[in-house]
Amino acid sequence: MIRTEKLTKTVPTSEGLLTILKNVDLDIAEGEAVAIVGESGSGKSTLLGLMAGLDSPSSGDVVLDGNSLVALDKEERAILRGQLVGFVFQSFQLLPSLTALENVMLPIELKGDPDARNKASNLLSRVGLEKRWHHYPNQLSGGEQQRVAIARAFASEARILFADEPTGNLDTATGARVIDLLFELNKEYATTLILVTHDERLAEKCGRKIKLVAGEVVSDRKVEEITHE
Amino acid sequence: MSDAALTHKRSFLSLFRLSLTLLWRDWAGGELKLLFLALVMAVTSVTGIALFTDRLEQALLLESANMLAADRVLSGRQEVPRQWITEAASQGLQTAETISFTSMVFSDTANLLVSAKAVSSSYPLRGELIAADEPFIRGIPVEGGPVPGEVWLESRVLPALDIDVGDSIYVGEAELRVGKVLVVEPDRQQGGMVDNAGPRLMLNLADVPVTNVIQPGSRVSYRYLFAGDEDTLDVYGAWLQEQSEGQSRLRDVRDESEEVSDALNKAESFLLLGSLFAVLLAGVAIALTAKRYSERHYDYVAILKTLGCTSNQISVIYISIQIVLAAIAIVVGWFAGWIIHHLILQILSSIIVVDLPPASFQPFIIGSLTAFICLLSFALPPLLALRHTSPLRVLRKDIDQTKIGAHVPYIVGITGSVFLILWYSQDLVLTSVLVLSVAAITLFLSVVSYLLLRSSSSVGMKAGSAWKLAMSATRRRRKQNVLQVLVFSITIMSLLVLTLLRTDLIDDWQAQLPENTPNHFLMNVTQSQVEGIQNFFDENGIEQNIFYPMFAARLNSINGEPPRSRFFDGEEERGNITERGAQQAEQGDADDAVGQESASEGSDSTGSRGRRPTRQITWTDILPPDNQVIAGQWWDANTPAGMVSVEADYARQLGINIGDEIEFEANQQTFTVAVQSIRTVRWDNMQPNFYFIFSSGTLDHLGATYLSTVLMEQEQKILLNDLLRLFPTIIVIEIDALIEQIQNIIAQVTSAIELISILVLACGALVLLSCVNATLDERFRENAILRTLGAGRKLILTSLLIEFASIGFIAGIIATVGAEGSLYYLQEFVFEQDFHMHYWVWIAGPLIGMVVIAMLGINSTRRVVNVSPLNVLRQL
Repeated sequence: MIRTEKLTKTVPTSEGLLTILKNVDLDIAEGEAVAIVGESGSGKSTLLGLMAGLDSPSSGDVVLDGNSLVALDKEERAILRGQLVGFVFQSFQLLPSLTALENVMLPIELKGDPDARNKASNLLSRVGLEKRWHHYPNQLSGGEQQRVAIARAFASEARILFADEPTGNLDTATGARVIDLLFELNKEYATTLILVTHDERLAEKCGRKIKLVAGEVVSDRKVEEITHE
Repeated sequence: MSDAALTHKRSFLSLFRLSLTLLWRDWAGGELKLLFLALVMAVTSVTGIALFTDRLEQALLLESANMLAADRVLSGRQEVPRQWITEAASQGLQTAETISFTSMVFSDTANLLVSAKAVSSSYPLRGELIAADEPFIRGIPVEGGPVPGEVWLESRVLPALDIDVGDSIYVGEAELRVGKVLVVEPDRQQGGMVDNAGPRLMLNLADVPVTNVIQPGSRVSYRYLFAGDEDTLDVYGAWLQEQSEGQSRLRDVRDESEEVSDALNKAESFLLLGSLFAVLLAGVAIALTAKRYSERHYDYVAILKTLGCTSNQISVIYISIQIVLAAIAIVVGWFAGWIIHHLILQILSSIIVVDLPPASFQPFIIGSLTAFICLLSFALPPLLALRHTSPLRVLRKDIDQTKIGAHVPYIVGITGSVFLILWYSQDLVLTSVLVLSVAAITLFLSVVSYLLLRSSSSVGMKAGSAWKLAMSATRRRRKQNVLQVLVFSITIMSLLVLTLLRTDLIDDWQAQLPENTPNHFLMNVTQSQVEGIQNFFDENGIEQNIFYPMFAARLNSINGEPPRSRFFDGEEERGNITERGAQQAEQGDADDAVGQESASEGSDSTGSRGRRPTRQITWTDILPPDNQVIAGQWWDANTPAGMVSVEADYARQLGINIGDEIEFEANQQTFTVAVQSIRTVRWDNMQPNFYFIFSSGTLDHLGATYLSTVLMEQEQKILLNDLLRLFPTIIVIEIDALIEQIQNIIAQVTSAIELISILVLACGALVLLSCVNATLDERFRENAILRTLGAGRKLILTSLLIEFASIGFIAGIIATVGAEGSLYYLQEFVFEQDFHMHYWVWIAGPLIGMVVIAMLGINSTRRVVNVSPLNVLRQL
C-alpha cells in the first residue's frame, strides 16, 4: 500500500545541510497497522509528512497505492490525499469555525457526496458524540475533540490513516479510550494505519514497529516477534 | 449530467457553502469586522463624497450660473453680428440679451441717475427675478422681466423720484409706466462697475430705441446670455472663437468672478484630495486587516489541504468570502453614503438656495468599483498567498509560509493606488507628483523610523523593568514596528495635512470676506464733501471707513530707466476692484472707447502716450487693512514727504527695490519719490487696494477725489437716496449682492470641506485600529507566556503602554515633519496660499500620536491581562 524508496530529507541550515531522514526503505501492506517510534527529533513526523504527501523528499520516492508521489505535483497530491488518506493529529486540527458535525461533514462534502450529513452524524454517534454535534471545538474537551478528529478521518472513507501522536495532548485515561476507539474503527474499516508515537506501549498495539534513530531506520519488526522475544 | 460532472458541481457547491459558513463564523468571531468596516468606509467615503460633490457641484454651478443669469456670457462694448446669436439658437442653445447704460430718469418732481438695464423677454436664462408690487418688501419670483412700455425700479428709486408703482417716468424720450419693484436680479454685479453705479432701472429691450438714449459714443455694455448642455456650449464656443478670429470667447462664472472661481477651484482640489486620502487610508486598512486575516487562516488552509483541498479550491473559498463580503459592504456603503450625503444636504439646506438636481447612478458605480479595486489591490495579494500554504503546517507550525513573492502585495497595492489616484483626478501630472512625493516620503519615513527604533536600545537599558521590557519588545519587532510607524505616520500625517489645510483654507476665506465687510464703494468724492459725508454716516449710525485720496498717475521711470515688465506687454494681471471701479468712474459716460471687454478691464491704461502704466495712487499714514510690509518700513506721521510704498508682486515684476527712485506724472506735473517699503496686498478682499501709496505731503497739493467704503445693511439702503440727494456728484457702487453671493458659496464649500475631513478622520481611525491589531497576535503570545512566568498585570500593561506610546510618539514626530513638508507643497503650488509653519502642531503631533496609539494599543491588548494565559495561548 505504501512503499518508500531511499527516502531522504535534508534541510538547509546556517551550518550547512541537515539530514533529517536518510535512505528510508519501507514497504507497508494494505490493512497493516504500523507504529513509527523514536526519540524527539528522530524524524518520525517528517517521515509521516513525506508518506502522506504533505511534503516533498529531497531524494527518493514514496509510492502510495501505486502512485509515485514524486511524479505528482502539489495539486495532484492533494487530490490523492482526498481520495486515500485520513489524518489524526496530536493537536486535533479541527477547524474552529465549524461545529463538530460540520468538521466531520467537510471531507465528505469535498468529495461531492450528497449524503454528507447522514454519514457524518452516524460517525459522530459511533464515536459517542451524538449529543455534541453542534458544539464548536473550543466547547469540547481534548478527548472529545480527538474523537471528532477520528470521526473526520474515517468520514472520507480513507484507505490509509496517518496518526501523529494522537494521545500526545490527552491524559492517560482519555488517551487510552481514544486509542481503543481508533483501533476499533481501523479494524472495522480495514484501514492501513501509520501511527507515529514515542509511546512504546501504544506502539505495541500495532502489528509492526519501526524505530527511527537520527533519521535512519534502526529496527523494523513485527510486534509479535518483539513480544515473543 | 455525468456522474463526474455532478460530483464536481456538488463539490463546488460544498466549497461555496463552506465559504459562507466560514464567512458567517469569522464574522461572528469578529475576525472580519475590521476588514468589512474598512470596505464599508471606502464605499461610504467614495459614494458619499461622489454623491455630495456630484449634486453640490451641480448646485454650485447653478448658483454660480445665477451670478451670470446664464451658463455662458459673451459681453462687450459693441453689438455682435446677429448671425452669432441665430447660430446659437440653431444649435439648440437658449439665448437672451441685455444692454446696460447709465441714464438720468425724470418724474414730474425729481430726477435721478440710474443704472439702466434693458432685457430681452427670455431673460434670465438662469436664476430668477424677484419683484414686488410695493417698495421695501421681500417680493416673489416672477417669470421674465418687464414687458414693453414698462419699467421695474429698485425700491429706493421710488421715494427718490417721489412716485409709486403704476406712475410713469421718463427715460430719455420714452414715457414708461412703473410696473413693479425690482428686488433681486441674478446678475446684478455683472457688466462692469460703472453699470452698477446707481440704483437699477430695468426695461424691455424693445423700448431702448424709443428712449433714444443710446447715441454713437455712448458708454453701453452689451451682454449675450447662453444656456444649454455643456457639450453644445463647448461646440458653440469653439465656433464663436473661429468666427471672431479669437477676438471673442464665451465666458463662464470662473472668468467673470475671480473670487468665486478661486473658492470653487480650491474647494474642488480639497474635495479631490480628501476623497483620495479617504480611499487610500481605507485601502491601507483593507490591506492590514486582510493580511492579518490571511495570517490567521494559514492553519485553516493547511487542514483543508490535508483533507484534499487543492490550491484552486482554496482560492475559490477565500475569493468567494471576499466577494460576498464586498457585495454586502457595497450595499451598506451605498446606504451609508446616501444617508451621509443627505444629512449634510439637510445641514446645508439653509444655504443651498437652489433646487438640487437628482443624484445620478454614477456615484454608486464609482463606490462599487472602488470597493473591488481596493479588494483587488489591497486584500487579494495576502489572500492569494493562502493558496501556497503548505499542508505540512499541521505537523510543524513553525514552517515558513510560502509567499507569492514578497514584493507582490506592495507592487499590486501601489499599482491599485496609482490607478485610483489617476481615476479620481483624471490628471497624469498630479498623479505622478503625488506618487513620487509619497514614494519619497515613504522612503524617508522608513529610514528615519528604523534609525529611531534602533536607537532605542541604549535608552531602554537605563530605565526600569517595564521600560526595559517595552524597549526590548520594540527592538525585537523592529521590522514590524518600522512598518507600523510608517503606517501610523502616514495616517497621522494625512489627517494633519487635511486638518491644517482645511483650517487654513477656511481662515483664509473668512479673512477674505469677514462678516462686517463693507459692501458699498463711495467714489468721486471731493475734499469738501468728505466731512459732510462723514457727518451723514455718523448721524445715521453707520460705521465708516477711511477716505483715501486718489488720482491717476503715470509711472515714468525707475531710477531714470523706463519701466519694463510683462505687465506692459499686454499680459493679464491680478484683478483689482479699486482700479477697475476708479478707472471706469473716471472715464464715465464720456469714455468713447468702444471695444470688447477684457478680463483685465482695469489694467494699465497705456493709451497714446506709449506703454507706460497709469495707476490709481493714494497717500495715507495708516497701513490699510490686509496689507503687510515685507521689506523696508511703514512710515508714521512724522516721515517726510517723498516716500512711496509699492505692492510686492508689482515691485517684483518691475524690479523695484527699497531705495529706488521712481518718477511719476500726474496732472501734467512730474515728481520723484523714494521706495520706503514693499508690501503684500490681499486683492480678493473686495476693499480699496493700491499698488502705490505715498507718504503724506507728497501729493497733497495736486488735488484728488476720495474713495471710501461703507457697510450698509439692507434696511439702511434707503439712506442712499438722502446721501445722493445731498451729494449728487458722488458715485455709489453697490457690491452687497456680490459679497452675499460669494459668502454663500464659501459657506457651502466650507461645509463640504468639514464633511470630507470627518470622513477622512474616520478612515484614519480605522487604519490606526487595523494597524494596532496587525501585530496583536504576537503581543498576545509573548505576554501570555510572560504571565505564565509570573509577570504581573501592572508590569505587562505598563510595558505595553510604553511600547505603543513610543511608537506613537515617533510616528507623531515623523508625521509632523511630513505634514509640514506636504503642506508647503500643497499650499504654495496647489492652493496658492502663503505657507507658514504651524508651531503648535510640532507639540500636538507627537502628543496626539503618543496618546492615540497608546490608547488604541492598550484597549486592544488589555485582554491579555484579563483572560487566563492558557486561554490566550489556546486561541492563537
